[in-house]
Amino acid sequence: MFIEISEIKKHFGEGESRVDVLKGINMELEKGEFCVLLGPSGSGKSTLLNIIGGIDSADSGYVSIDGEKTADMSEKALTMYRRRHLGYIFQMYNLIPNLNIKENIEVGAYLGEDPLDVDEILKTLGLYEHRHKLPNQLSGGQQQRTAIGRAIVKNPDILLCDEPTGALDYNTSKEILKLIETVNKKYGTTVIMVTHNDAIKNMADRVIKLRDGVIRKNEKNEKKLSADELDW
Amino acid sequence: MRSPLTKRIFREIRDEAGKYIVIALFMIALISVASGYFIADASLKNAYDESFGLYNIEDGNLELAQTADEAVTELFESEDTAIYPNFYKDEDSKNGSTLRIFSEREEVNKVCLLNGSIPEKDDEIALDRLYMKSNSIAVGDTLTVSGKKYKIVGTIALPDYSALYENNTDFMFDTEKFGVGTVTKGGFERLGDKNIHYSYSWKYNDPPKERFGKDAYDKSDDFLKAISKNVMLLNYIPTCRNSAIKFSGNDLGHDRIMMIVLLYMLIVIISFVFAVTTSNTIAKEANVIGTLRASGYTKGEIILHYMAPPVIVLAAASIVGNILGYTLLKDNMADMYLGSYSLVSYETLFNADAFIETTIIPIVILCVINLIMLISKLSLSPLKFLRRDLKRHQRRKALRLNTKLGIMTRFRLRVFFQNITGYLTIFVGIFFASTIMVFCLMLNPLLDNLAAVTVDNMIAQHQYILKMPVETELDTAEKYSATSLKIRNGDFTEDISVYGITKGSRYYHSIINRDTAEISSAFADKYSLKEGDIITLHDEFGSHDYSFTVSGIYNYPGTLAVFIGIDDFAEKFDKDDGYFTGYFSDKEITDIDDKLIAGDITEDDYTKTSRQLKRSMGGLADTFVYIGIAVIILVVYMLSKVIIEKNSQSISVTKILGYSKREIGAVYIRTTTVVTILSILLCVPLVAVAIDALWRAMMMSYAGWLAPVVPVSAFVKTIALAIATYIVTSFALKHKINKIPLDEALKNVE
Repeated sequence: MFIEISEIKKHFGEGESRVDVLKGINMELEKGEFCVLLGPSGSGKSTLLNIIGGIDSADSGYVSIDGEKTADMSEKALTMYRRRHLGYIFQMYNLIPNLNIKENIEVGAYLGEDPLDVDEILKTLGLYEHRHKLPNQLSGGQQQRTAIGRAIVKNPDILLCDEPTGALDYNTSKEILKLIETVNKKYGTTVIMVTHNDAIKNMADRVIKLRDGVIRKNEKNEKKLSADELDW
Repeated sequence: MRSPLTKRIFREIRDEAGKYIVIALFMIALISVASGYFIADASLKNAYDESFGLYNIEDGNLELAQTADEAVTELFESEDTAIYPNFYKDEDSKNGSTLRIFSEREEVNKVCLLNGSIPEKDDEIALDRLYMKSNSIAVGDTLTVSGKKYKIVGTIALPDYSALYENNTDFMFDTEKFGVGTVTKGGFERLGDKNIHYSYSWKYNDPPKERFGKDAYDKSDDFLKAISKNVMLLNYIPTCRNSAIKFSGNDLGHDRIMMIVLLYMLIVIISFVFAVTTSNTIAKEANVIGTLRASGYTKGEIILHYMAPPVIVLAAASIVGNILGYTLLKDNMADMYLGSYSLVSYETLFNADAFIETTIIPIVILCVINLIMLISKLSLSPLKFLRRDLKRHQRRKALRLNTKLGIMTRFRLRVFFQNITGYLTIFVGIFFASTIMVFCLMLNPLLDNLAAVTVDNMIAQHQYILKMPVETELDTAEKYSATSLKIRNGDFTEDISVYGITKGSRYYHSIINRDTAEISSAFADKYSLKEGDIITLHDEFGSHDYSFTVSGIYNYPGTLAVFIGIDDFAEKFDKDDGYFTGYFSDKEITDIDDKLIAGDITEDDYTKTSRQLKRSMGGLADTFVYIGIAVIILVVYMLSKVIIEKNSQSISVTKILGYSKREIGAVYIRTTTVVTILSILLCVPLVAVAIDALWRAMMMSYAGWLAPVVPVSAFVKTIALAIATYIVTSFALKHKINKIPLDEALKNVE
C-alpha cells in the first residue's frame, strides 16, 4: 500500500475547550489513486490532510508513505519528505506575491530532482502569456492554476489539495478540477483532495466521508465521472 | 462614548511588546543621556555664573615684585579699586607636576569646598578635585611639598581656576601636570620665602556692566595705564582676559547644538522605523481597516488609532528618560565637564528647555513623519482595503529580471525590490550610525596626529613670551614680535596670532617679502585661504582693521597665524624700531629672570592640548560608539523583522513546499545581509565626506583648528564593529524565521 494511515488521533485545546478533531482514522490509498475527503466544517478533513502533509503532527497513530512513517522523521527529514513526495494546493492559492507567475512555478521546480519543463507547464495551464505578471494581476482561477503548476512542476508522488475550488466560481472550478484530473492521469500522481463540494466525489477513485473526527464512509467510486461531466 | 478602538491600542502595544520594548529602551537611553546632558549643562552654567557673586571672583590679578606697600595700596584706592593679597608658590609635586599653593583666602576668590574640610592646621592642605583625580590622590593622603609634609584634608575648587591654566598664555591646560591648592597662613609660611609670587587680586568699586564685555576690556586697559606708570608689574591679567576663569564658561553649552542635532537625527530614524513598522501593520490589517472605514469610522479616527502606539511609547520613554536624566545621568553628564574643568559645586535645576527638547519636539517629529505616512497610506478607498489592494498605482507588469539568473537569485532580488523602502532606511541608519562611530573612533588618533604633526612643525624648541623686551646673550635666541588680532566668522570671532619674523630667520624656513604675509597651514585650511587672498583682521573690539595679502602658506598646523617681517610688524602696529615680544630658541634661555618671562611654549604645550582633549572627550566618545552600535541593531533588526513579518505567509509556504531553513535564510536573510554589508561599505566614502563637512562646520564655531584627518583605522574598526553587530542581529532574524509556523500559510487571508 502506498499510503497507510493508522489510528490517527488529534485534539486541539485543553480542559473544557478540548476538541477531539480526529478520533482514530484508518485508511489506505494505492499509488495513483484519486481520493476525495468529504465532510462538513469541523469534521477534521483539513487536519487529516495536514498530518498527511507533515505540516501537523498526530497525537497518536501514524502515516506511512511508501513504507516511511512520518512520525519517526526529524524536522529536517520531514522537510525532505515534503520536498520529494508532496505537492500542495491551497484554497487561497498562497502564491508568493513578489514573484511573477513563472517564478512562482520555478520555486516549485527548484525542489524537484527531475522537474518538468516550466514553459511547458505554463502553456499547459494557459498561463504562458501571463508569465511575467504578478499574482495580484491575475484572476482567482489563474492564480489557482499557477498554484497547481507550482505543485506539479516537481512531479510529486502525492498532490494534496485543500479546498482548491473553494474560492472559485463554477466554470473556473471545473477548469481547475480538469487540470487536477489531467495531472492524476498523465503523471500517475496520487491525489488527496479535501472539499465541501459533494459533486466532486464523482470524479474520485475513492471517497472518504468524515464527520466528528471519524470516518463514516470509505468506498471505491465505481461510477467515476470525468471533471467535465460534473455538475452542481 | 469613548472609541472602542482605544482598547485595541493597548492590545497592539502588548501584542508587539518585543518591538516596542526594544524601541522604548533605545529611546530611554537616548533621551536620558540628552536630558541628563541638558540638565547638567544648564545647572553647571548657572553655578558658574553665580560663582562670580557667591565666591566673590576677582576683576583681575596682577603680580608685583614684592608686597604692596602703603603707596601702592593708596594708588589702587585712588583708581577706585581694592586689592587683596593672593600670594602663591609654584612647587614641584607628584608625577612631575606643578602645584600652585595659595595661602588661605577670606574675601575674594573664596574656596569652594567639595569634600573633606578646609585646612585648619599648618600641615594640612586642600587640593583641586581634578588635579587629585588626574594624579590619583585622595583625601587622607600625605603630600610632600618643598620637603614639607602636608596631610590632604579636603577637595576643593578655586573659582579663579575653573580651567587649570598654569599661565594665561598657555595653549591649553593640563590637569595632570598642573594643579592648585590652599593651606593656612602658617602652612604657607612653612614653604619658606623663596620664589613667592606676590599676586594681588583686584575688585572694582564700580564694576563694568558686562563681565566679559567691551566695558570690561576698556576698564582694564585704563586701569593698566593708570597703575603701570607708578608700579612695576610682573603680570597683569584682567578677568575678561583670564583663560583660567572664562574658558570653562565659554565651553559650557558649546556642545548643546551637537547634542540636539544628534538627538533629533536619531529621533528621525526612529520615526522612520515606526513609520515602516506601522505601514506593515496597516498592510496586515487592511481588511480590518476596510471594514472600519466601510462602517463609518473616519480616516482621522483610524490615523489617530495607528498614531497612538508610537506616540504613547515615545512619550513613556521620554518621561522615563527624563526621570533617569534628572536622577542618574545628570551626574554622569556633569562628569563630562567635571572631567575637564574644576567647577564649583552645583545644584540641579529644573530645566523646561530640556523637557521641551527631549520630549515635546521628539514627539512632534514622530507625529509629523508618521502622519505623512498614515495620510498617504490611508487615503485609499475602503474597498481597496477590503480587497487588500494597497497599491496606489497598479503596475501593468512586474519588473523583468534576467531569467539567466537562477531562481534563488531572482527570489532574493524580488525580496530586495519589495522592501526597498525598508532597505533604504537601513542604509540611512547605517550611514548615521557609521558617522557617529567613525567620529568617535577618529578622535584619539586625530589628537595623536595633531600632537605629532604640530611638534614636527614647531618653529623652535622654545618660544619665549616676554613681559617686557629683555636682551639675552644666548646666540641661538632669535627675536620675534607677536600680537593677537581677531577674525570675524559670522557671529563668531577668534584670535589669530600675528608674528613678526626676523629677516633671514634660522627658525622660520621661508622668506617673507615686505608688505606681504604668509599664513599658517591651519589658518589656510580652516578658512579656505590661498595665495593672493586678502585677509582682514581687526583688533579686540573692531576699532581698527588690518589687511594682509597672502603670499604663501607656511606648514604650521597647530595655530592660526599670520607671519610678516619684524619691521613690517613694527610699522603696522605702530611700534618703535627694534620692537620685539619674545624669542625663538632651540636652547633654553637661562640669563633672563623668570619673572620677566610670561611663557615658554615647548613641545609639552603642544602635546598637552591633545592629552587634555583625549582625557575630557574619551568617555563621551566611547558612549557614542555604543549608541552607534545600538542604532545598527535597532534599525537592522526592526526593519528586517518587518520584512520577515511581511513575508511570513510566503516563508510558511516555502517551508511547506519543502525548502530547508538554510534555503529560506538564503532568500530572506542573505538579502538583508548583502544590503547591510553593502550599506556598511558604501557608507565609507559618504561618511568620509560627511565627517569632513561636519568636522569643518563644528570647528568653525571653535577657536583654533584641528584638521579632519580620519585615520583608516577608524573606518576599519567601524566596519568591523558594524559587521559584528549585524552578525549578532542576524541570529535573532534566523530565530524569527524558524519560529514562523507551517500553518501560517493555511490561514485564509484574502
